[in-house]
Amino acid sequence: MSSNTASSSAATAGSGDASAVRKNSKRPKYSKFTQQELPACKPILTPGWVISTFLIVSVIFIPLGVISLFASQDVVEIVDRYDNDCIPAPARTNKVAFIQGSADKACIRNLTVTKRMKKPVYVYYQLENFYQNHRRYVKSRSDAQLRSPKYENQISACKPEDDVGGQPIVPCGLIAWSLFNDTYTLSRNNASLAVNQKGIAWKSDKEHKFGKKVFPKNFQKGNLTGGASLEPDVPLSDQEHLIVWMRTAALPTFRKLYGKIETDLEVNDTITVMLQNNYNTYSFSGKKKLVLSTTSWLGGKNDFLGIAYLTVGGICFFLAIAFTIMYLVKPRRLGDPSYLSWNRNPGGR
Amino acid sequence: MDSIDKPPHESSRWSVSSKDNNSVREVTFDVDSKRIRHGSAGADSEMLSMSQKEIKDEDARLVYINDPERTNERFEFTGNSIKTAKYSVFTFLPRNLFEQFHRVAYIYFLVIAVLNQLPQLAVFGRGASIMPLAFVLLVSAIKDAYEDFRRHRSDRVENNRLALVFEDNEFREKKWKHIRVGEVIKVQSNQTLPCDMVLLATSDPTGVVYVQTTNLDGESNLKTRYAKQETLLKAADLESFDGFIKCEKPNRNIYGFQANMEIDGRRLSLGPSNIILRGCELKNTVWALGVVVYAGGETKAMLNNSGAPSKRSRLETRMNLEIILLSLFLIVLCTTAAATAAVWLRRHRDDLDIILFYRRKDYAEKPGGKNHNYYGWGWEIFFTFFMAVIVYQIMIPISLYISMELVRIGQAYFMTRDDQMYDESSNSSFQCRALNINEDLGQIKYLFSDKTGTLTDNKMEFQCACIGGVDYSDREPADSAHPGYSIEVDGIVLKPKMRVRVDPALLELTKNGSATEEAKRANEFFLSLAACNTIVPIVTNTSDPDVKLVDYQGESPDEQALVYAAASYGFLLIERTSGHIVINVRGETQRYNVLGLHEFDSDRKRMSVILGCPDMSVKLFVKGADSSMFSVMDESNGDVIQATKEQLHAYSSDGLRTLVVGMRKLNDSEFEQWHSSFEAASTALIGRAGLLRKVAGNIETSLRIVGATAIEDKLQHGVPEAIESLRIAGIKVWVLTGDKQETAISIGFSSRLLTRNMRQIVINSNSLDSCRRSLEEANSSIASNDESVALIIDGTSLIYVLDNDLEDVLFQVACKCSAILCCRVAPFQKAGIVALVKNRTSDMTLAIGDGANDVSMIQMADVGVGISGQEGRQAVMASDFAMGQFRFLVPLLLVHGHWNYQRMGYMILYNFYRNAVFVLILFWYVLFTCYTLTTAITEWSSVLYSVIYTSFPTIIIGILDKDLGRRTLLEHPQLYGVGQRAEGYSTTLFWYMMMDTIWQSAAIFFIPLFAYWGSTIDTSSLGDLWTIAAVVVVNLHLAMDVIRWNWITHAAIWGSIVAACICVIVIDLIPTLPGYWAIFQVAKTWMFWFCLLAIVVTSLLPRFAIKFLGEYYRPSDVRIAREAEKLGTFIDSQTRGIEMNRIADPPRR
Repeated sequence: MSSNTASSSAATAGSGDASAVRKNSKRPKYSKFTQQELPACKPILTPGWVISTFLIVSVIFIPLGVISLFASQDVVEIVDRYDNDCIPAPARTNKVAFIQGSADKACIRNLTVTKRMKKPVYVYYQLENFYQNHRRYVKSRSDAQLRSPKYENQISACKPEDDVGGQPIVPCGLIAWSLFNDTYTLSRNNASLAVNQKGIAWKSDKEHKFGKKVFPKNFQKGNLTGGASLEPDVPLSDQEHLIVWMRTAALPTFRKLYGKIETDLEVNDTITVMLQNNYNTYSFSGKKKLVLSTTSWLGGKNDFLGIAYLTVGGICFFLAIAFTIMYLVKPRRLGDPSYLSWNRNPGGR
Repeated sequence: MDSIDKPPHESSRWSVSSKDNNSVREVTFDVDSKRIRHGSAGADSEMLSMSQKEIKDEDARLVYINDPERTNERFEFTGNSIKTAKYSVFTFLPRNLFEQFHRVAYIYFLVIAVLNQLPQLAVFGRGASIMPLAFVLLVSAIKDAYEDFRRHRSDRVENNRLALVFEDNEFREKKWKHIRVGEVIKVQSNQTLPCDMVLLATSDPTGVVYVQTTNLDGESNLKTRYAKQETLLKAADLESFDGFIKCEKPNRNIYGFQANMEIDGRRLSLGPSNIILRGCELKNTVWALGVVVYAGGETKAMLNNSGAPSKRSRLETRMNLEIILLSLFLIVLCTTAAATAAVWLRRHRDDLDIILFYRRKDYAEKPGGKNHNYYGWGWEIFFTFFMAVIVYQIMIPISLYISMELVRIGQAYFMTRDDQMYDESSNSSFQCRALNINEDLGQIKYLFSDKTGTLTDNKMEFQCACIGGVDYSDREPADSAHPGYSIEVDGIVLKPKMRVRVDPALLELTKNGSATEEAKRANEFFLSLAACNTIVPIVTNTSDPDVKLVDYQGESPDEQALVYAAASYGFLLIERTSGHIVINVRGETQRYNVLGLHEFDSDRKRMSVILGCPDMSVKLFVKGADSSMFSVMDESNGDVIQATKEQLHAYSSDGLRTLVVGMRKLNDSEFEQWHSSFEAASTALIGRAGLLRKVAGNIETSLRIVGATAIEDKLQHGVPEAIESLRIAGIKVWVLTGDKQETAISIGFSSRLLTRNMRQIVINSNSLDSCRRSLEEANSSIASNDESVALIIDGTSLIYVLDNDLEDVLFQVACKCSAILCCRVAPFQKAGIVALVKNRTSDMTLAIGDGANDVSMIQMADVGVGISGQEGRQAVMASDFAMGQFRFLVPLLLVHGHWNYQRMGYMILYNFYRNAVFVLILFWYVLFTCYTLTTAITEWSSVLYSVIYTSFPTIIIGILDKDLGRRTLLEHPQLYGVGQRAEGYSTTLFWYMMMDTIWQSAAIFFIPLFAYWGSTIDTSSLGDLWTIAAVVVVNLHLAMDVIRWNWITHAAIWGSIVAACICVIVIDLIPTLPGYWAIFQVAKTWMFWFCLLAIVVTSLLPRFAIKFLGEYYRPSDVRIAREAEKLGTFIDSQTRGIEMNRIADPPRR
């Protein structure tokens, strides 16, 4: 009781400066934000949600897997590994010496079309065990130089293919230097088959990355020749094989587009390939393959994604079934306080 | 200055002189040392010890009064300009950088950045490698610069304030910054003091000034300070003032000051009551003169301007183990990269010269060729290793430390803004003083609480009186219409500010004057209550000009209560100066001369005052704790003492604080004897405090008992409920109090610390052996944990426990008890008890207190909480968190602590995960690049990954996410156990997270790898796919664990993914980077989107399934509570919960 009197008298005494108190009050301003009471959605994983999520995933993934597999099956692909066969049998003991020598490197390969290939049929060369993503390699280029003649002296990153006798090499660097130089001439049933080698590079690269006014200079003039040489009077933006090559492959097994055959190839057509086997992959046991392939909407022939989708879809379906059974056999009432640890074993705390 | 010459209160000095021919100064001498406390409040041993020390010459500074030239001749003392700003324009850059690099995290950044600058190790470009470091440095620098700018501004304002300085025979205005040590300054009412100065004279003839020290220690009551009588007279003629002060070197003790003043060859000693400090405000005094002794940065206020204490959170310390694991993991990754690279180089050592993608030789210069960028096998391994360190640097989540700081700032913001922790009565909101232990609040296991001012309000209310062994305690409700006591003096009505309920019988009795023995005793009783104290009455105006309120200001709330009580019974204290007091006794104004005052100290536990009464008799009034008082009582009236003792027991059983009052008439010889020894003691240079104590002890003997008082220290609002909640939460509550055992136990019951069905074990021993015996008995008597036992131990026993090997036994006993009450505890023991527990367990301890005596305990505990209450601000200054009421502990621990712990624990794990996922993606790629450290992901994305792509959501979640609502947490305090059992962060969770990390990184990496194997995909396109996939997966992973989705969460998570995509696009829009246009090329293929979908689902699938299984079949308490919260099974749970409790806690005898 006495507290009442005390506080009431204190209140009367303080009433004079009540307004001042209110003004100086440090009471935090109330807002839903400061009280951490913002309206929020609080989803919880109920069996219903989880099982339906798994079902939905499986319902989406299994069809996607099937169509991916179909897409991959639709692709017709002819792969021909020629790096070994294109070296004359006597020279096979020292392939590196042969490839570095001056002997004739022409080679003829015959391929048979096993299934009708609708145009456009893409011609790729495939290299294996070729590390275009090697650190030394990917750094050895000068993007500034490729774009504009103004920067042709920006060659610091290009060592050891930076200059010849003090003159900058354009395009400099190991990537350009090692430009792939096997060439293919195709004929079908003894009639020549045109391979369109234009339009194989990205449009963006041709228009913006490789300059129209940049011409090759001092290219492959060094003491060691790595690969193809370039026609000096064609601007880099039109050197499409170079542009394709300069888009370094992400993985050690890769394909690069060589050209496009713009006619359909029929079953049992024989494709004869006259090729110049110039490129030295022998020093690091790299494989070279020629690939003729159609494409689907999903890309090339690769069953992995289809199988992956089917597997994940299947697992999800299985989990949905398993969880449903578990739910029916051994359900737990959600939010049942008797499961709380202090209710489960009273006094045991 | 004329007024000094003719003090108007000539009469007062005369009246004293009539008794004693020496001047009044001797009597007034030691009315200083205002830190007087009674009851449980601890003594200021600090101050006593200060005055015992003598100043050695080498430790002293000499200040010549009014002679700044001479003062500053030998040593130039610091001037009064202050500089709180840390930097100037020129020093900012170097100094700020220097300070920032004190943090290990920045050093790590720097080392990595420097390593990257070596040409052989240059993994990233210059810009990309320096960016993260530059970013954090810049942000911190801007913050520091802004703060410093504000400090500069306030310094300038402060330094240019004006003060009156005595120069050339007159007072002139001078800027604060030009004030020098030795100058004499005049301060006027309501002005702030510019520096620390020793008082010379004041407008009050007795030399009293009142200062308010709010700026210094936050206490708003007025404190009295005194000028020496000698200087008071001399200060009239300042020009000829000749003397010097020898004082101690500047220190930060605001309650201590020791100096000697020498004037005219006489030596005077000065104490803390003779100095007024910078930052204080002069009140109720027209002017004061002082000589500057400390100026500027050497003032006590400035020396105390240090920052909050820094502690490291348990979680952060715990986290270091995982950081070490991650470092080892990083080393393993780097070693693997270096070793495999070495194997490859070895295998191809003959072909390296011409391999198209390696080309070791540079043939340009000489035909034989020289090695290009190749330094031999050993060096290549070495470089590869360090390049790997640079590439994988974010494995050690340095950004985590910065995120944690940001999150803690955010959490602190919400804690201070919580309006449930705002205290209306003291107008104080919650304060976060330490910014790095927020999450520790969620793991507290032991709570140590002070009682007075913490559990209770420390607003004392006079409840009962026992006079001559008769109890006067009217427990009937008072008539609320009762106007309270007031008295008219010279046409002005004086009213005490607070009304106290009066006992009508006692009131009647006092009105009888000295008619009966009882009435006489009652009058003496109230006279001693009104006189025997250090309270200063302040008369304040009210809206009615004829009514004035008397406000009693003083440092002891007990004394205030007693004086208000005396006033209500008609003994109105009106005036107190150092020489006399004026008491209005039922309308008749009486004047008493204060002949001597023995201050309260913790050894004697009493104080006394010697009064020269109007009837020319000299009386000694003593009041003190019962334990110390009964030993000095005259044994002749044993029955009264016996009756009083019984009453006291009854009072303390009701939880009241008791004091005993005694008195004695002094005859002339006794007084003379006392006076001479008092004078000798008070002018002694060595051991003054000890001598004074002895003098007091000699005179305070054979007292006649007058009566006893009982004061109620009311429990703070909500304390019992708070203690109940904390106990249910599994927190062991220890209450440490200076009160008597009975008082402590009764407070224990009223605060529900103790319940009736608890068995009480009382340890109350007087010797080591008995203490050991009772502890061991107690230990064996407590059978198991299910019995609820309370341990009550007193300070004497604790001395034996803490000094000996009994600590272990006590700890064992304490562990089995559900409540521990320590009574009669000295301040130093408080820290000892905290240390006892802290050293024996890894559990977290929290200490809460409000007074200076709790400081040691607050600093000792893992978390210190200060209550900003009645007993000043020292506890708050030493604390990590400060708040207004004890009950705020419940929301602080159960709600904010729980949230902070859960958030921080999750955030740490998540940060480990998200950085490790990224590092592992980079690592897997290395296996396919000939073991060279090529990254498909662009260097800018690598750098921005932990800065922009994924950092915002985790910070936002760390600040905002709530696993459970406030209501649920408060209603089920058991949920706090999550933090105590460290369920939010543990090594098991870490490994679980790491397994998940490996799976997710593998899914992100290998799905595109196999899908694109042998295709025309280029590095940049694949890198972009990996980047976006990683960002999406990592953010969805977080999204899966978010509990509350509000708009900010949505914005942060989805915004982050969008921001990452925008960044990737922007990077691919730069034509000079190899990845030009890659994202557009790759995003238009179906393959990209099929891969992305497969990655997201595959990587999150195991986590989703396991998370669900775990939550459904082995649900944690939090999970069930969350379901209950969502599905509304609350009401149900509540009734059940009560039932369960009832069963769990059957009534015991």
